[in-house]
Amino acid sequence: MSALEQYGLLLGLVIGTGGVVLGLYGLARALGPTRREPGKDVPASSGVLSRDPVWGRYHARYYGYALLFLAFDMEMAFMYPWAVVYKEVGLVALLDMGVFLAILFLGLLYGWSQGALRRQ
Amino acid sequence: MNFAVVLLALLGSVWVLAVVEGWTTTGHLRPAAPLLSGLAHLGRESIVPRTPDRVFFEAAPVLLLIVAVLGAAVLPLAPTLVIADLATGALFINAALAYVLVALIMGGWGPNGAYAMIGGWRFLGQLIAYSMLIVMPITAAAMRAESLLNSAIVTSQAGLWNIVYQPLGFVLFFIAATALAFRSPFDLPTAAGELAGGVEAEYTGARLAVLRLARLVLVITLASATTVFYLGGWHGPLLPPWAWSLVKTLTVSSSMLLAGHHLPRIREADLLGWCWKLGIPLALLNIFVVGLLVLVVP
Amino acid sequence: MTSDPVMTSTGARQRQKRFAILQKWISRALAHNLSCLIVPGPDVALAHGLDVMATGMRITATPRDAGVLLIIGELSEKMSEAVTVLYAQMPRPRAILLLGGQTPSSLPSADVSAGLSQEALTDATEWLRRALAEGAFATSPEDFDASVLHARIEYVCPMHPEVVQDEPGSCPKCGMDLVAREAGKDECAGETTAEHGHHHDHEHHHGHEHHHGDEHHAHDHHHSHDHEHHRCGAHGHSEHDHSGHDHAGHDHGAMGFMSMVEVTRDLPRSADGLAMDWIEVPFGPVFPGLPGGLKLTLTLDGDGVTEGQATSLVGMATEGDEVDAGTFVEHLASAMPLAPVSYRLLACLAIERATGLEDDPATARARASALERERIASHLGWLAQLGRQLGFAWLTHRASALHLDIRHASQPQLIELGPALQALATRLGRTPLLKARLKGTGVLPAGSSGLRGPVALAADEAGDAWTRLWQRLAEITASLDVIKTTGEPELPVLRNIGHVSGVGEATVETPRGLAQLSLKLEHGRIKSYTLDTACSHHIGLVAKLVEGRELGDALVAVGSLDLSPWEVIS
Repeated sequence: MSALEQYGLLLGLVIGTGGVVLGLYGLARALGPTRREPGKDVPASSGVLSRDPVWGRYHARYYGYALLFLAFDMEMAFMYPWAVVYKEVGLVALLDMGVFLAILFLGLLYGWSQGALRRQ
Repeated sequence: MNFAVVLLALLGSVWVLAVVEGWTTTGHLRPAAPLLSGLAHLGRESIVPRTPDRVFFEAAPVLLLIVAVLGAAVLPLAPTLVIADLATGALFINAALAYVLVALIMGGWGPNGAYAMIGGWRFLGQLIAYSMLIVMPITAAAMRAESLLNSAIVTSQAGLWNIVYQPLGFVLFFIAATALAFRSPFDLPTAAGELAGGVEAEYTGARLAVLRLARLVLVITLASATTVFYLGGWHGPLLPPWAWSLVKTLTVSSSMLLAGHHLPRIREADLLGWCWKLGIPLALLNIFVVGLLVLVVP
Repeated sequence: MTSDPVMTSTGARQRQKRFAILQKWISRALAHNLSCLIVPGPDVALAHGLDVMATGMRITATPRDAGVLLIIGELSEKMSEAVTVLYAQMPRPRAILLLGGQTPSSLPSADVSAGLSQEALTDATEWLRRALAEGAFATSPEDFDASVLHARIEYVCPMHPEVVQDEPGSCPKCGMDLVAREAGKDECAGETTAEHGHHHDHEHHHGHEHHHGDEHHAHDHHHSHDHEHHRCGAHGHSEHDHSGHDHAGHDHGAMGFMSMVEVTRDLPRSADGLAMDWIEVPFGPVFPGLPGGLKLTLTLDGDGVTEGQATSLVGMATEGDEVDAGTFVEHLASAMPLAPVSYRLLACLAIERATGLEDDPATARARASALERERIASHLGWLAQLGRQLGFAWLTHRASALHLDIRHASQPQLIELGPALQALATRLGRTPLLKARLKGTGVLPAGSSGLRGPVALAADEAGDAWTRLWQRLAEITASLDVIKTTGEPELPVLRNIGHVSGVGEATVETPRGLAQLSLKLEHGRIKSYTLDTACSHHIGLVAKLVEGRELGDALVAVGSLDLSPWEVIS
């Protein structure tokens, strides 16, 4: 199969799964609608009725890790094609990527020393 | 034809895994339990919380299921038994599994409830921890196979499985896969003891059924990925290739479940610390060692 | 027990004519898949000797996943309110299984009602399965309503909108009388939180003016808010639908553009200097892993706790009518379900001291043995709770199984179980992630007073959750040794005292610390008594314990104190 056919098949699979899920929802709905009763739609908070919305600025404490993650993620995008041609190209490939990884790794060590790798 | 067989195999594996999960929690093997449990979920009401983000709330379980199924679609059970053997299969799996995060954050934000929201954001921290440890071992496996084609990665292991060739990669990948599937000891987003169910808490009825099904399919997909990348896929004596794939997949997924049963939950800060300070240097070391081995060993 | 299994109409779903057959199959599936939410908590169920998993029901963490509400024992009024809320949040079909008590008035009558024993529970579950298989879908179900689910009356100071109380009184800041106001749907605290969330998008909506009828806010008060005590007393608008994306109903009239610096100017800052939204989250009476009946309210900044507060909803009140001595002993023992033998012993000793009866050495030994047996059982129950908190399923199963074996074991049986207990301790020492999880968690601030029992003994070294775990494991071994020497355990029974008067005082080392009871006896009736327990002191430690911690650590810290909310004297 050509790549286009394969992606088409995968798209069909996505739509099919969505269809199955909708079918299940329809089946559940056919068994009866949900009765709206007071207090039922309030999110369960272990016995306390708290209607307040909770959306807001969440204090994520892992942002030091997140910044380094971005750098490494970009690196991994480069490593995929590199891995495929690696054996062909040989030692030069190892050295090229090795330098790149070493620089990133030094960045990781620097971040660690500066306290980026901890719960903020 | 392949399509149907692979999907059937997926469903069957999910069934077996559900029975194994039931056995770990209750101690009894009940083969009919998954079907009865699914019907029971369908029979319950589906409650939508007050002032939700409707799009996110509805999308999360569906997206999680679609992601898991897509991941399984590119993994081969036998030399030609695969739904879509993409030329960039290894990359595609990673891309598909990245949406697990999106699904969980949607599931956390959507219901507008405290426990769910915290669970969702915690999973983002977990992703930052495990993500590199998924990608780097896959790259190392691809280096040996000189290709991102999943079946090529399996055929490259005909002589020696990757678990022996790059054991460090296997260990890191297995741990990261357990974290991706948010199973104990990495079940931060759906912790019962800390968040009373977390992301799963506000889903009821049919949506909960889909969410639970999606979780099981996700474990099977990841176990299948571990088999393909590290355990030699369909290679093995005596049994037909697809049987070996299934046996290995079920063994890996059961061990993911059982390991969690015997370990307490890890703190998120500890997970991030261990993954970034120890895990990533080890993964880089693994790539370097594999690079040398690939060049030196004919 | 009901003679015919019947589901109350508030528990069933609507029967549809067309899908009747499908509904029948689904009813059968529902009957095979019972999941229950235990109220006040699985620790109470274990303390009463009930093995819920053995009946085939799955224990859930949230009412959303539960089909059965399993109520154990009598519920206090505040607990009844919480249970009503939980029942309202369960999806239909839902049923109530009541063990050993009366249905609270705010709930519909129980579907099955039974006594507090394992056989009764098993039978009740069978009845419930039959009821569900037949009655899960009813022809005309009614809606469930209760007053606690609607707006409550709050009392606000007209001058200080942030001062809110549930009872009438006077404002602590200015002394004015508080005015009644409807709360519930009109709560503005969360709305303002959501509005702060909308401020991000102000740059995109610069210059827009959305007028949405009568929902007109004045935004000038946004800057001077103390974020935690947020009440918009002056506003009378109805509930907004604050979806995360649309801004319908958001009036920007008086505001224009606001930079993040301006928006966050008066908000409290976290340790790293960022000003984020803080939310107040209840980890309320029925939370998996925490003792049932303990209501913990934490203010969360992300997933870190900035302040916390613990109250007990099931605490005993020391006011009461005069009762005769025997009733008093039973009353005290049943009011403390997590340590009934200790409190029974305490009451018996106090009464006997009041009457001047001498301690007979054989009885004293038997009572001491029973006390030690309960200490082992109590610590095993605590280990099961720790397992629930940490997601350590094996520990929960093993500790629960051992607890059930030990509860009423005779001395030879206890000695036989010794190696199993030792194996549990060894296994815990070898569990990979446990030490990292518990070490450094729950360190009490220096100078904490009022510590008793294992918490106090562990505080000698480092005083964190890890040392408390090992302290309790050591106490299990020590108790077993005591039982080997003192002989057969026997439950304390009040000896015949007649109609005497006197004053008596006794202390008993309960599994959670020293408890002291002093009472005044008059003609064989208890006139008055004062009870001092360890948990009344320990609950005050919670606020300091959780401040500044990560959420999981805070919960483990509270769990490591082994609070029994029943023993908190109100």
